[in-house]
Amino acid sequence: MRSMLALAVVIGMVAGPGGLRGEDWPEFRGPGGRGVAAGQAIRSVWSETEGIAWKADLPGRSTSSPIVVGDLVLTTASSGAKQDRLHVIALDRATGRRRWERVYWATGRTLCHSTSAVAAGTPASDGQRIVALFSSCDLFCLDLEGRLLWQRNLAVEHPKSGNDVGMGSSPRIVGDAVVVQIDCQGDAFAAAIDLATGADRWSVTRDPIANWSSPLSVATDTGPAVLMQNGRGLELRRLADGGETWRWAGDCSGIATTAVLEGMFLIPSAGIAAVPVGGREPAWRAAKLAPGIASPVAWDGSIACLNRGGVLVVGDTADGGIRGQLRLAGMFWASPIVVGELLVALNTEGKAFLVTVADKPEIVAENQLPGTFAATPAVADGSLYIRSETALWKVAAPE
Amino acid sequence: MSRRRGMVFVMVLVGGGLIGLRGSAAEPAAGVAADIARLAAAAPGDDQLALAAAADRLATVAADRIRAPLAALGNATPAGSNWLRSGLDRAAERLGDGLKLDLLAELVADKELTPRGRSLAFGWLEARAPDRAASLLAGMLDEEALDLRRAAVAKLLADAAAGDAAAQLAAHRQALEAARDVDQVEAIATWLTEHGAPTDVAETLGFVRRWLVSDAYDNAGGGGFAQAYPPEQGEAAPGMAAADWKPVVSSHNHGEIDLNAAVATKKGVLAYAHAEVEMPAAGPAEVRIGSPCAVVVWVNGRQVMAHEIYHASEAIDQYVAVAEFRQGANFVLVKCCQNEQTEPWAGEWKFQLRITDPLGKPLATQRTGEPK
Repeated sequence: MRSMLALAVVIGMVAGPGGLRGEDWPEFRGPGGRGVAAGQAIRSVWSETEGIAWKADLPGRSTSSPIVVGDLVLTTASSGAKQDRLHVIALDRATGRRRWERVYWATGRTLCHSTSAVAAGTPASDGQRIVALFSSCDLFCLDLEGRLLWQRNLAVEHPKSGNDVGMGSSPRIVGDAVVVQIDCQGDAFAAAIDLATGADRWSVTRDPIANWSSPLSVATDTGPAVLMQNGRGLELRRLADGGETWRWAGDCSGIATTAVLEGMFLIPSAGIAAVPVGGREPAWRAAKLAPGIASPVAWDGSIACLNRGGVLVVGDTADGGIRGQLRLAGMFWASPIVVGELLVALNTEGKAFLVTVADKPEIVAENQLPGTFAATPAVADGSLYIRSETALWKVAAPE
Repeated sequence: MSRRRGMVFVMVLVGGGLIGLRGSAAEPAAGVAADIARLAAAAPGDDQLALAAAADRLATVAADRIRAPLAALGNATPAGSNWLRSGLDRAAERLGDGLKLDLLAELVADKELTPRGRSLAFGWLEARAPDRAASLLAGMLDEEALDLRRAAVAKLLADAAAGDAAAQLAAHRQALEAARDVDQVEAIATWLTEHGAPTDVAETLGFVRRWLVSDAYDNAGGGGFAQAYPPEQGEAAPGMAAADWKPVVSSHNHGEIDLNAAVATKKGVLAYAHAEVEMPAAGPAEVRIGSPCAVVVWVNGRQVMAHEIYHASEAIDQYVAVAEFRQGANFVLVKCCQNEQTEPWAGEWKFQLRITDPLGKPLATQRTGEPK
């Protein structure tokens, strides 16, 4: 295994062939999976009747996040008594009108816990194609007109893959491939699949343990790579051939995904363990920075975590020092995002807390929408896209 | 599917699709028939770009030729079903009102189409004319397409809601006979029980409730899952002295057998449960088991399924396998393994099992009295 201590590693979108625009929000937690929309400003007040550009009622149910690509907002859902109808839905970004909807039949398991959904993984796009992965381990790739380009029925290929709690890992586009992490007690594996053809670039066996975190794209000076975690640690693999270049073993969250900032992996591990990229020992540990289900968000030398009790803790990435904490109301399945100077934390009951985080965290607004919410909001051009289990709202950009 | 099997499948499907067509106007051109066959037989490793191109061509099919690809859903592979649907939905979208309501109603009623084909046609009809679609549901209480049967049951009950008590009672009894989805059966049974007609949910759903349960065997480190202890060494009835089995009768609504209560509250152990069931006829039937623990199931000494999954949720009909049964007495053996997880939610050690036809209608019965 090659040490990467000397490598300059940055988190981010690995350049691909697609046509993403700077204002797109193309995958789970936005560009690079960071959950950060720098330089944008959102309105501070909204409700069901105020500040809403449009609302779209959606079929079935879903806990996946919307993505924004060009003039489309894309989301997924599942419906039917057995939740075995899988929907990919494209809405007009300006009006919320349904542009197209495609429905497929699940080929794998569709049982899941009531707090999750068969449509739990967030779709991803390279600006030309959309990939959607469902809990049934069905992966569909469509173009922006809703034409099916290829499909992989991964539970047909790996019959013991799946998890009756529900699979939640989102696919990640890395370069010209999509990486899927199918972690479960049965046939666990990860694969990089060619975006153009749907063929495997590589596939590797993983530990047979359940896990809901998502892979991350990492650009290294030796080429694009993918970071994957489970309850036993992290591994970094080359996109080109799947070869492992680094591994960190330790207790690790199986739900909240690691944040990467300034050469440091900020790992949910009994708090946060800050491990230098390529390193083995944490530079620091902070027990109070303890993400629950929501993933931590890191930006500009700061990190914020929402724990299981709904307490938001903000710290410094330099040493893990705590800058402040704040009790928010409710439970949080959606991960917090940072938009400009504000952190947005959406609880399961639809209350969005806007928190200033430049210094000590303070709530500046609380905005309520009706429904049950587990999806991390998307943001593009100053508009927030907030999805409940059954509807999607576009919160208008500030005037 | 191997390449060779795929080719045979394609040939059969092309032939079957053409035979099933009514009249020459509905017959697809040779190229379209080849596309339909290719899509229906889609298998892992196939050229996806070629399949996408075939789906593109299918999306241009004329309204009077849409039956053939719907018929092809009957023998399609899992991937093939989605490829066909990809083209069909786009065709229906493109055709709009060109897809006439009479044609759609005819397709919904066409019993030569398989459930997915009829269900798809129903969806297109419902999107264009909801009332016309709803009017078809009255005749669908015995529908093999379970989504349509579910809708028919719901409509029967909704229509009866405005009637008197006797009409509602009759409707609910009829609905209970027709319903196959567990949640719908439970809701109807609850209504009947609350309205003076006590209904046994476990009996209605067909859970096997009378079992003989073994003592605990070691499963430290999960090693017992693959270990063949004496109860699984018999050829038909389990190979263990009769006196060593403890009779257990479930009174749970879902036929649960709680092994913490029946055996002992232990971790890192496993137990066997054995039941004799009567089947009305010889042939295949579905064994449906749910458990938060790892399970293995045998029917008449033949293993039919094994799932080494611990505490990752549980549900009725969680694992389903088809097994061959003989007419009359049959022996079902379950091995249910508990692991050593210490989380509070990992304490459950239980299972429930039923034997049904492919739509979920219970088939097995048990004699009354103590389990044999």
